[in-house]
Amino acid sequence: MTAKKNNYGVVGKPQPKLDAPLKVTGRSEFTDDIRLPGMLHGKIIRSPIAHGKIRSINTSRAEKLPGVKAVITHQDTNGLMVGPDQMLLCDETVKYIGDEVAAVAAIDEDTAFEAAELIRVKYEPLPALLTLEQAAKKDAPILHQYYEDNFADERTTVLGDPDAAFEKADHIRIDEFTSSPNHNCFAELHIAVADFSRPDKLTIWSPTQSAILFQKALAQNLGLSEGNVRVCNLNTGGAFSGRVSAKPHHYIAALLSRKAGRPVKIMADADEEFIICRSAGRNKYRIKTGFMNDGTVKVIEADFLHDCGAYVEEQFVLLLLAECALHLLYKIEALRYQGRLVYTNNIPYVYHHGGGMSPVQFALGQHLDRIAQDLKMDPVKLQLKNAVDKGYTTINDTHYASCGLTECINKVSRKSGWKRKYNRLPPYCGIGIGCGVMSSGGKGMWMHDTSAAFIKLSEDGKASLFTGLPDMGQGSHTTMAMIAAETLGIATDDITVVSGDTDIAPFDVGAFSQRGTFTTGNAVKNACLDARKQLAKTASEKFNVKTSQLVFFGRKVFPKGKPDKAISFEDIVFDTLHCAEGRFVMGRGFYNSPTDKPALSYSFGAQIAEVEVDPETGEVKLLKMTVAHDVGRAINPLAVEGQLDGQVFSGIGQILYEECCMENGQILNPSRLDYALPRPFEIPQIERIIVETHDPYGPFGAKEVAEGPMVTTAQTIANAVSNAIGHPIDEIPITPERILKLLKQKKQELS
Amino acid sequence: MKQILSLNVNGDDYQIAAYPSQTLLDVLRDDLRLTGTKRSCGTGTCGMCTVIIDKKAVLSCLTLAVECEGKTITTIEGISNPDGTLHPIQKSFVENGAVQCGFCSPGIIMTAKALLDKNPSPDEKDIKEALAGTICRCTGHFKTVEAVQKAVPNIHKESGNDSEEK
Repeated sequence: MTAKKNNYGVVGKPQPKLDAPLKVTGRSEFTDDIRLPGMLHGKIIRSPIAHGKIRSINTSRAEKLPGVKAVITHQDTNGLMVGPDQMLLCDETVKYIGDEVAAVAAIDEDTAFEAAELIRVKYEPLPALLTLEQAAKKDAPILHQYYEDNFADERTTVLGDPDAAFEKADHIRIDEFTSSPNHNCFAELHIAVADFSRPDKLTIWSPTQSAILFQKALAQNLGLSEGNVRVCNLNTGGAFSGRVSAKPHHYIAALLSRKAGRPVKIMADADEEFIICRSAGRNKYRIKTGFMNDGTVKVIEADFLHDCGAYVEEQFVLLLLAECALHLLYKIEALRYQGRLVYTNNIPYVYHHGGGMSPVQFALGQHLDRIAQDLKMDPVKLQLKNAVDKGYTTINDTHYASCGLTECINKVSRKSGWKRKYNRLPPYCGIGIGCGVMSSGGKGMWMHDTSAAFIKLSEDGKASLFTGLPDMGQGSHTTMAMIAAETLGIATDDITVVSGDTDIAPFDVGAFSQRGTFTTGNAVKNACLDARKQLAKTASEKFNVKTSQLVFFGRKVFPKGKPDKAISFEDIVFDTLHCAEGRFVMGRGFYNSPTDKPALSYSFGAQIAEVEVDPETGEVKLLKMTVAHDVGRAINPLAVEGQLDGQVFSGIGQILYEECCMENGQILNPSRLDYALPRPFEIPQIERIIVETHDPYGPFGAKEVAEGPMVTTAQTIANAVSNAIGHPIDEIPITPERILKLLKQKKQELS
Repeated sequence: MKQILSLNVNGDDYQIAAYPSQTLLDVLRDDLRLTGTKRSCGTGTCGMCTVIIDKKAVLSCLTLAVECEGKTITTIEGISNPDGTLHPIQKSFVENGAVQCGFCSPGIIMTAKALLDKNPSPDEKDIKEALAGTICRCTGHFKTVEAVQKAVPNIHKESGNDSEEK
């Protein structure tokens, strides 16, 4: 892949991550690398049963153990709630295997483990609701006593006139799908280091996607002002939608630290990680679509049920995103949608990578694939027939100022040789297409969607960029440095990114909802334009031209058309700083999408998968993925490729391998050995196609490439497997067992 | 009771007092403060703590420190060139975008180094097989495998192997 030529100095040129040299030499600091004076180790005592009453908690033996510095139970939390329905430490009932009951802090890990073993909790087991079908029943026992049923949250949307649209449709198709619980599997396990030894100020070190949301929640719940909660997010070892909000262990580390008067570190064990993480639960999707003889999709009706486990955290996002998936991608006339969260006695389930969109788009993609088969129509043609395009306004008034969906479909189709292959492959070989859409930003999901940035210029013409946007590996800091360098007309390595500390960094909601490049990118650009304006004053006096006539490029400043007159950027900064008034240059920028929709810009993608299925073992061999994504503009093509790779990998995992096997509320495979992530030899050949549509709102035309590609991968592979075995797929992940079951089913259907 | 151990880590000799139950990972990170070797699962399932002991890639979380008495241990901090420039594998990881969150990078790089030390001309299958024990969620193994492949000719260059071919 080579970058398209443009007139930019920095944007569009592959740039290795600025922090990569630190990372490959082991010098990057992660939270577990911190060692504070007097630091203690914390351990959480969790419920071993899925549902029950707490009869008694006896901590006396643990407290007497030498080396134990603090033990906390609900009596120490002052009724602290970490969600609308979740006490930090349980007082009367426990609601899932892993529910937090008590915690200890001791001088070392071994003592903390020993003390945890000495805490005696007596439970009286209660019947547990372990499936969403059980819990959704009308006469099911109520899990949260103040509610009337087990529906934790609900979202209903009607757009257009669905009944009339179904009436007019030539055909109606209904399908049902199920997805299984799975887990985000970060490289760096959950960890928190808290120093609350000063009662008026909490400092917490933790990997996160949003230091601001952590700060706000901790301040509110612990009765501190936001400025007195300092969140330090050093490097973050992967996040994948799983590190947006503060979790119980953050609060527990803080309270243990306050009680002991010393810093406390809590790090998950390998199996505890599967509980702490709040990954995805079981979901059920029912989709009904009205469509015409020519393949035009007219109307969709969807009923989605999500197991949200014992407590509600940020699962409402699932309901919102699922709705978006239904009406943003195709030119439908009407929609009726109902999404519901169901309480069960499982782990509080939020979502896996992709904000829960991977299984939703699997369901929708498989459903559309079947519509194509009903009509004996080529699925690529069906996708093209229904694809939204530039200038289109959807039924919920979302307008597309840029859209490369058709280009993506055409490119993957051509590059993969679709026409030669579709329905012409040998038995048990298959090919499938999938399409996806993603917003660049997440307005409405959180209270606001604002990013701010500062840029500070040094006397030597270099700059420090202050941002609150975390870099979890996606390369956001490098991208921000490139945007800053391009705007100021200097080089990327002239920029030092300062981040990871709420005491210093400006406000930024965080790195989720695909908002980094678009929203923070715009804020960074604005900050640099502000700095440039301050420099332009000096330069325009020197050249005796209007400020609008100045060009900042290649570490130089010159009047338009007169590069021979250039003065170095460094000299302009120096002269500004040392002018009569001593004008120190610091640019300030901010951005909040001026829309009431989730975002102003949307990215689109299409992928084609080629597979081979072994009918004897049920194993799927993924041969090739052809992946196109409309990113608006690739600021850093190297990082865009990395994003495509990682998301395709994640999609492969979610559709073919990853499943938390559950029994009575217990995960049976809480280990990275038994929880099957794809390994290097399961990775297919990949062809990456970057489509650039130059979005008018994005910084230099850029849109997201954060989770857009991954929502397309799962459905694409499912469609290819379905094509290979000649049978629809209703349940994911498509494990060998499930394939063999489908093949057997197919045999029975045929006979 | 702690025991006194003699370890050679990255060319330096250390004498360390360690409990028999202490893992090499704990000693490297907590006693020697060589935190480049990452602690993740602690149960040998992820490969992130991989170091090289006497030329073999080993999971330091499953290795007791006492087993390493008298052995030569190399960690991620010890593979750059003496002048501070990066080892060809490290350089290739940086240039080819094989580093994202970077938490698994030390383990993967050490695994790759052990492979290339033993087999200077691995094919793609050899590399994938060697890296099979390391988990990398961010890159999905695409660019890590590619980066190891691309490092091969540079390793030959540095060790002077390519001049023999001429």
